Amino acid sequence: MIHKGAYADRIIKSRIREFGLVAATKNEKREDEGGCGVTGFAANIPVAGRHIFEPSIRMHNRGNGKGGGIAAVGFDPDQLGVSRDVLESHYLLNIALLDQECLPMLKEANVTPFFDVAKEELLGHLFDYREIPGLEVKPPDVWRAFVRVKPEVLAKFIEENGFQGMPLRWAEDEFVSRNSYRLNTRFYSSVGDKQAFVLSHGRNSMILKIVGYAEHVVQYYQLEDFVAHVWIAHQRYPTRGRVWHPGGAHPFVGLNEALVHNGDFANYYATCDYLRQRGLHPQFMTDTEVSVMLFDLWNRVYGYPLEVILEALAPTGELDFDLLPPEKQRLYDTIQSTHIHASPDGPWFFIIARNIPETNTFQLLGITDTAMLRPQVFSLYDGEVQIGLICSEKQAIDATLRSLAAGDPRFSPVADRYWNARGGSVDDGGAFLFNVEPAADGSRRLTCMNKFGKPVTVAARKPLDITAPVTKPDDYGIAIEPLLHEALESKDSAKIYDLFRTHAALWDYNTLRWVVGRIGKWVSVNADGLDGVIDGLTLLLDRRIPLGDKKRSAFIRIVTEELYGILRSLTRVTESVRLGRFALVDFQTRHALRPPVAVERVLVVDAKDFAPEGDECQSVLLVDAFKLGWRRFIVFDLRGQRFDGCGFGPRTDDVRIDLYGSSGDYVASGIDGMELHVHGNAQDQVAQIMKRGKLVIYGDAGQCFMYGAKGGTTFVLGNAAGRPLINAAGHPRVVINGTALDFLAESFMAGDPLNGGGFVIVNGLTMDEDGNVIFLDRPYPGSNLFSLASGGALYVRDPHRVIVDEQLNGGRLVELSNEDWELIHPYLLENERHFGIKVDELLTVDGLKRHPHEVYRKVEAVPLAVLTKIPETDDSVWARNAVRKAV
Amino acid sequence: MHYKNVWNEVPRPEVVKTPSRFRRGMGKYAVMLSEACNNCLKCVAICPEKVFEERGGKLLPPHDHLCLGVECSLKSNRCARNCPTSAIRVGMNPSTRAMGDKRWTADLLMSTWYMAETGRLPKTDLEYRTGDSGGGFDKIRFRFPRRPPRPDLDKETIDTSITLNKRNDSRLKIDIGFPVYGGGMSFGSISQITMLSRIRAFAAMNSFTCTGEGGYPEALYPFDDYIITQVATGLFGVREETIQRVKIVEFKYAQGAKPGLGGHLLGDKVTEAVARIRETVPGSSLFSPFPFHSVYSVEDHKKHVDWIKAINPRCLISVKVSTPTDVDMVAVGSYYAGAHIVHLDGSYGGTGAAPDVAKKNIAMPIEYAISKVHNFLVNEGVRDEITLIVSGGIRTAFDIAKAIALGADGVVTGTSELVALECLRCHNCESGRGCARGIATTDRELTGLMDLEWGSRRIINMFLCWRAQLREILYRLGMSSVRELVGRTDVLAHLDYNKDVPDDDIRKPAE
Repeated sequence: MIHKGAYADRIIKSRIREFGLVAATKNEKREDEGGCGVTGFAANIPVAGRHIFEPSIRMHNRGNGKGGGIAAVGFDPDQLGVSRDVLESHYLLNIALLDQECLPMLKEANVTPFFDVAKEELLGHLFDYREIPGLEVKPPDVWRAFVRVKPEVLAKFIEENGFQGMPLRWAEDEFVSRNSYRLNTRFYSSVGDKQAFVLSHGRNSMILKIVGYAEHVVQYYQLEDFVAHVWIAHQRYPTRGRVWHPGGAHPFVGLNEALVHNGDFANYYATCDYLRQRGLHPQFMTDTEVSVMLFDLWNRVYGYPLEVILEALAPTGELDFDLLPPEKQRLYDTIQSTHIHASPDGPWFFIIARNIPETNTFQLLGITDTAMLRPQVFSLYDGEVQIGLICSEKQAIDATLRSLAAGDPRFSPVADRYWNARGGSVDDGGAFLFNVEPAADGSRRLTCMNKFGKPVTVAARKPLDITAPVTKPDDYGIAIEPLLHEALESKDSAKIYDLFRTHAALWDYNTLRWVVGRIGKWVSVNADGLDGVIDGLTLLLDRRIPLGDKKRSAFIRIVTEELYGILRSLTRVTESVRLGRFALVDFQTRHALRPPVAVERVLVVDAKDFAPEGDECQSVLLVDAFKLGWRRFIVFDLRGQRFDGCGFGPRTDDVRIDLYGSSGDYVASGIDGMELHVHGNAQDQVAQIMKRGKLVIYGDAGQCFMYGAKGGTTFVLGNAAGRPLINAAGHPRVVINGTALDFLAESFMAGDPLNGGGFVIVNGLTMDEDGNVIFLDRPYPGSNLFSLASGGALYVRDPHRVIVDEQLNGGRLVELSNEDWELIHPYLLENERHFGIKVDELLTVDGLKRHPHEVYRKVEAVPLAVLTKIPETDDSVWARNAVRKAV
Repeated sequence: MHYKNVWNEVPRPEVVKTPSRFRRGMGKYAVMLSEACNNCLKCVAICPEKVFEERGGKLLPPHDHLCLGVECSLKSNRCARNCPTSAIRVGMNPSTRAMGDKRWTADLLMSTWYMAETGRLPKTDLEYRTGDSGGGFDKIRFRFPRRPPRPDLDKETIDTSITLNKRNDSRLKIDIGFPVYGGGMSFGSISQITMLSRIRAFAAMNSFTCTGEGGYPEALYPFDDYIITQVATGLFGVREETIQRVKIVEFKYAQGAKPGLGGHLLGDKVTEAVARIRETVPGSSLFSPFPFHSVYSVEDHKKHVDWIKAINPRCLISVKVSTPTDVDMVAVGSYYAGAHIVHLDGSYGGTGAAPDVAKKNIAMPIEYAISKVHNFLVNEGVRDEITLIVSGGIRTAFDIAKAIALGADGVVTGTSELVALECLRCHNCESGRGCARGIATTDRELTGLMDLEWGSRRIINMFLCWRAQLREILYRLGMSSVRELVGRTDVLAHLDYNKDVPDDDIRKPAE
């Protein structure tokens, strides 16, 4: 077995010989962008292109319709009209023809002399692109061909470049790569009028891109029913120039990989130099292209294992590096010092879809930069089918799953797990990959693992068959109905919750669905029981209960669907009879919004069809309703709409809002007095500049949680991702039961916590599917804790004294005092009421209940010289010198 | 008669003579009296500029800053020649050699003080148009036609107003009375009296002032309709309430004086009052991070703009950025994100608090950035839908006019107002208790050096003089509105590239 990297030197030298060290075209970065929406998924069964549609649409506000693209890996040979052998062995050339006339010339120059063509065709498309609303520029025609390099051509290529001994396939890969470079040079980057360029040339993979939104690609090229195992899509937000070329859109191709990117490099030029020194010349002037060139170089030319490539892209640093085993430290240190000038610097997040022909594996890979400056969510569903998803926003994941579940009952609209990667960390390396590998029976299996190969799994439980008819269980009348009715008649949400907590583990799916269904039936004729039922079902969503062999994702799905059904059957604001405590408004009836009358107290908003932002967003409706006198709101079936709770203004103490579904960015930002409950995970920028009030998140909070907050009390069941509580001042009081990825409470300025200032409690725990508490090995894994803070305090549950001084920069670890415990105890008690996490359990270490002082540690601010002294400025130095001269 | 509290009213835009608050105004020339003076008071009658004043039969120390200079004093009918005891001598004031810097020369400081006192251009030979930096606006001149092309224009009615919302959206339509509004200076970096003086003066001109990022002190509430509140990276003092009070909200992404460095207010200036407004700890330095932690790309930025729009459904959005080489990209990105105003902050501005290493060394000089952005937006076809405001070293009415001729709609100033309040440009804004003249300080004792009515009047006088100069410039160019001047680089000349550039002093009558 020859190591791939053995030929690196020869490949690079011969490339330099052919293409030179200096770029043929002037290598100026002309395309500039920062923002994008990225999404991707990999499934063990082939999935139709239409399912990339929903997440793409849900992320329109991350692009501007000036560039969209998709990539797909792992096809059905029948749909392409070739044999499986051809599909797997041949290179699939996709060439965008901006000028249709150039095809004969192009073939003559770059195809016919070199390749045996097994099949060629012009990709089908809609007759008229204007049939697609919003698509303003005609997408390019695409010429597609399955090709192999002619043996004699390959032999000559090997001869000329000194590749003797190299496996033929490697040489063929290199030939295809260079041929595309030549083609692009001639037909794209060196001519005034761009004529054609290579979209992709890998095996069993393709890229298509246009000037438009990503879903337009699927529509225009009629890929709604075209199936693949891996799909990625990209919404681009270019801001320059009135004419855009599809060439600048993502994804970009390496050899067998397609990469989409959200972010911006600060060291683009240095990276280009690094590539040019290796005979590689960027042609499309974007940092995305450069990223995939780096990947291809390290992967195919240097033959690095994936872990090493990931390390070169996102180096491990600080405390995380210190925690690596010594031999890894040596390896990583070598990689970092060798490739540091090509390591992309700046906010970036990559999603890569690739085919690994050697093992017939299709792979979806997501990787974040070390500082985690771009949003990223991973998720996994493992049931009758398996799917892994990576997106910029959780709501886009939910949209994908909803779309898939609607088309195929084996999918679930709720994933089993959602999580974030911690960039450059010793825990996961900031990267996760989903491999779709062939199984012995001819089917495929999906596995998920992190940078270090540690698998991510979900508990093996029975998936729900949603198509199965729901029938009355035999023992319902005797064993369940009396209990259920007792709970319902009591109108006590806790009783309903308790019934499920004690019995749900024993029920099968049919019983569960039947019981939940009976609740809906009961409440439809017992309107005075609505409050109890809504609260009871909400508790079931918020808490985790033992479910036996059933999946929590299925349980969530069943309860959510019933809850939404109940809410949708409420009296509409347009109806004048049947008035009750609740009034329902949706997008169609939004103009009929009116003040509450009679006994009406709760405005229920069906958020489904509202716009993500702007005047048609339900957050605007909430403010209008508030002005009309409504104080209590339930917003459900959210699909990533933003700004809920914003705009109410000061002093809203009598307001309460409950959010269900995929809530969007900036929820509760700036609230002043109100109480807001997010049932499920929250997204990014939640509770920015929060002033007063209460926020409870029954899940994770996204990036920049409580940035610049001034006060308020918040409770988070799960984690807060990167950069929570940065620049928070005043008196915010926060309980985070999970942990934070990094930069927690940087520049915290919240006064003296014992005299009315603010603090953060970190419990460092997680829960299993059944709600059992598991304490994390490290309550706070990041390297930056409380950096440059000048006020406030952190209280960390750290009984094993894992937090070390190296993680602090301006803070000081001290023992907990009695005053501290008296301060935080009431908050932990309230935390218990919200999430059921008992204070006793928090104080229990290795089975023994301990004194709080032994369990919690405090991090307080110390006056840093840099914060209090006047730095010696150039001015003062200048002044002193001037005085000296004068004297 | 009821006691009337007037501090919260908008003053009338009229010139009220407002002399220096110090005993002797500083002038380019020093008028020296020898012991031979016998208090005959002949000089009081002779001097047309009222340099000499008597009180109770005794001559007061002369008002140097009104003196027209050595040549005047030596004329046969003027002071030096007619003093019976030859006690009067006029010479150059040696202090001027130590005062100011290349950008704000002693001449420029003193002419600004003169405008702030009298509302008129100085009669002396003070250079009131440009500094001596050897670049930027100091090398650019207006090329006035030999005769005013439209002598029929009435100078008094030449339109100096500009529109801040050019988008055809449902938000407020705002016109400001002259093409200037006040840049962000936070409470904490300057005193409340300084802040209010600026706000009242801009309000008098029917324009706006930005709060900076130090919060929104209650004393500002009467002027809500004339205030721009800033959402900057530290989010100090930013609340929904403050965002909803105002008509314009400004995002500060960077400052031209120190791009990439964020903001900082050193511990000594964080007094109890400052800490209360910012809800922080007294005595601890306050740092604004250099980026918005929630904004790392253009789609984040759009989301950010959408957020403020959701909080305040009527306000306009201004985006303040510095001038990197791809500033045109930033500007057009802001336009697509839904901003109404793009505010470019060039490299010449900034007070003493910006480190020298950053000042003038990082960002692109504003005169290049204006043209670059203006032309780019024109080519994109969106120039008519966005207001381009520039700042960073705009000192004089001539700077304003030059910036507009290069392509801006209007400008933002800051330092000039402080100079009107008798700032000396000593560059010690950030240190210790702050400003020796009680302008950029929050120290109670130092703040007491200035009174609000005096401060407001000084700045209004300067503005009225600026407006008159602008009108004179427009008149000489034959334009009836400042809006006609936008992008008219043809009326400008550059000393390095154009020959025979004429003098554009508007004190000399047009032919």
